[in-house]
Amino acid sequence: MAFIAIENVSKTYSETEFDSTVKVLTDISVEIEESEFIALMGPSGSGKSTLLTTVGAMNRPSHGRVLIDGIDVYGLSDERRADFRMEYLGFVFQQHHLMPYLTALENAMLPLATSSVSNREKRQRAMVVLESVSLGNKASRLPNQLSGGEQGRLAIARALVNQPPLLLADEPTGTLDSKTGSEIMEVFLDLNRQGQTIFMVTHNQDNAALADRVLQIRDGSLVVCGTAHEAGRMLAGRTDHEPRAVYVGQGKTAVAESAVGLDPA
Amino acid sequence: MRISTLAFANLNRRKGKAMFLTVGIAIGVGTIVALLSLSNSIQEEIGAQLDRFGANIVIVPQSNSLALDYGGVSVPGVTFDQHQLRNEDVEKIREIPYHKRLSVIAPKVLSAAKVEGQQVLLAGVDFKNELKLRRWWRITGRSPENEGDMLVGYEVARALSIIQPTGQAPQQGVEAGAHHSTEEQSQFQIVKGDVQIAGQRHSVVGVIGATGGPEDRMVFGELLHVQKLVNKAGQLNVIEVSALCKGCPVEDIVGQIRDKLPHAKVSAVQQAVKARTEMVARLTRFSAAVAVVVLIIGALMIFTTMMSSVVERTKEIGVLRAIGFRRTHIIKGLILEVATISAAGGFFGWASGLAASWVVLPYFSETGVGRELNPTLLFAALFGAMLIGTLSSIYPAVRAAKLDPSEAVRYI
Repeated sequence: MAFIAIENVSKTYSETEFDSTVKVLTDISVEIEESEFIALMGPSGSGKSTLLTTVGAMNRPSHGRVLIDGIDVYGLSDERRADFRMEYLGFVFQQHHLMPYLTALENAMLPLATSSVSNREKRQRAMVVLESVSLGNKASRLPNQLSGGEQGRLAIARALVNQPPLLLADEPTGTLDSKTGSEIMEVFLDLNRQGQTIFMVTHNQDNAALADRVLQIRDGSLVVCGTAHEAGRMLAGRTDHEPRAVYVGQGKTAVAESAVGLDPA
Repeated sequence: MRISTLAFANLNRRKGKAMFLTVGIAIGVGTIVALLSLSNSIQEEIGAQLDRFGANIVIVPQSNSLALDYGGVSVPGVTFDQHQLRNEDVEKIREIPYHKRLSVIAPKVLSAAKVEGQQVLLAGVDFKNELKLRRWWRITGRSPENEGDMLVGYEVARALSIIQPTGQAPQQGVEAGAHHSTEEQSQFQIVKGDVQIAGQRHSVVGVIGATGGPEDRMVFGELLHVQKLVNKAGQLNVIEVSALCKGCPVEDIVGQIRDKLPHAKVSAVQQAVKARTEMVARLTRFSAAVAVVVLIIGALMIFTTMMSSVVERTKEIGVLRAIGFRRTHIIKGLILEVATISAAGGFFGWASGLAASWVVLPYFSETGVGRELNPTLLFAALFGAMLIGTLSSIYPAVRAAKLDPSEAVRYI
């Protein structure tokens, strides 16, 4: 059984102001194996974030279900689902959303705040993840005393402190320059090599090329699912899609030669 | 790192807002504490003032007969008394458990006597205590000091031509005493220095200005002397008691006196007690009304501040929810913040309210009673502030906890 099973997920928002409904996701089904690195791409408004938060146990689908490690996520009560997020999921946000009034160590400890383990153990665990992202020597700094890349790495450390089986990232390099973005992607790749399952929303083709598989979503529907190489080839066959770029990714599985059409919107 | 760490870090981060809320709560609590302290002091003051207006407990012998009337209290006639009050009974009253609350014990013997040929009610009193009880008496002349000295009521003095309107020369040998009032002197002066009572001559040392009460028609002499004069040695007809009324356990005092004097009829003067109770109740109602208004304003202030704080922190709350904080964790954190601020506000409010009441107390109270550190009031201030703070922030906290994390994440 797949580690993550997204089964016929649809999501409809009702717009009370206009007395109408907007369909954001349409009958999406996909399976993700443990230790896979998935990149989710698509134009703005295509439903990427909705799918991410749906997989992230935060956004109940109108139809269909999401199973993670065999658990029907939306069959859980709200409080149990919060516990599930704490135990199974780690989130990395585009703008990191670190608590500006907490030190790097405290930010990394944040997901442990509700845990019953001792403060000493919490500190130890937080230090371990800070070390793993090379921030061990900056534990006492506030976020505004860190560079953009360091902030990104701190956000990853926070997401990992609970050792979650699934790491969800929403455009983690979106606000970073290419060099800093590469640093962050290196961290993701390292984690993935160690067996971490990663589900990442990105607009960046280079980053997508690093993933095991690329999901391309358009108007709420999954249009492509395959390696970066496959995705490029599949999209290249589409009549409405002109080749736009040729690039060489440095991912572990796919070197997307002529991976055209991974629309970065 | 615990939820409390986050709460305190947040307070530290938003020092200005926390300070504003603390000051607001402190002002509210301070107002109530000052009001309660003042109200308490004023209540005591009123109690003390009312106590000055006379006795609030009257003790008479047990009897079915009603022979003489004094001050609206019926005094049994001599002939039919089944049980007599005795001088020793005064000492027994001083032995009751609440004896420290008794400010004045004024025994009296009453008898009809012929004064200058006219039938008059003659009262033997302990002048030292009687004059404490009758603070409204305005005596022209002086207070009795010797055994045969008499104090005469205004009506009696007029009927027996002891006084005459001001302007006529006073009779030689009559002294002006310490208790005379300028107002009364301007109305009359004593012109006759002695009277015949029960066949003996007695000095009239003072005349009580008209009061409109029964004393206008009475003559007062020293207790032991009058007892001998009317052949009632050691006997008393009435004992008036003035109890200090803080907390006013008059009924308890009455019960204790009854236990000591089972042969006597002991009753509280209901008018005095009721007047005091009514006054205290009005003050209490006024204080409560102001307190309620202040509490409502305080609660609204906390409510609006917390609501705006929740809106400001949508992003942060969304992140916390996304990383696995339960709704109850969010509520706990927010309530902890408000409870901390409320406790600080409660303490500073108590301190400032007490200080304010001490400063303004002299303007409201002659005695300045009530200047005390009341631990109950401190506890009530802390508990009340925390309760109001918590109650006012429940809705904002619940609303924060109900924030859809996916919406909050989308928002950010």
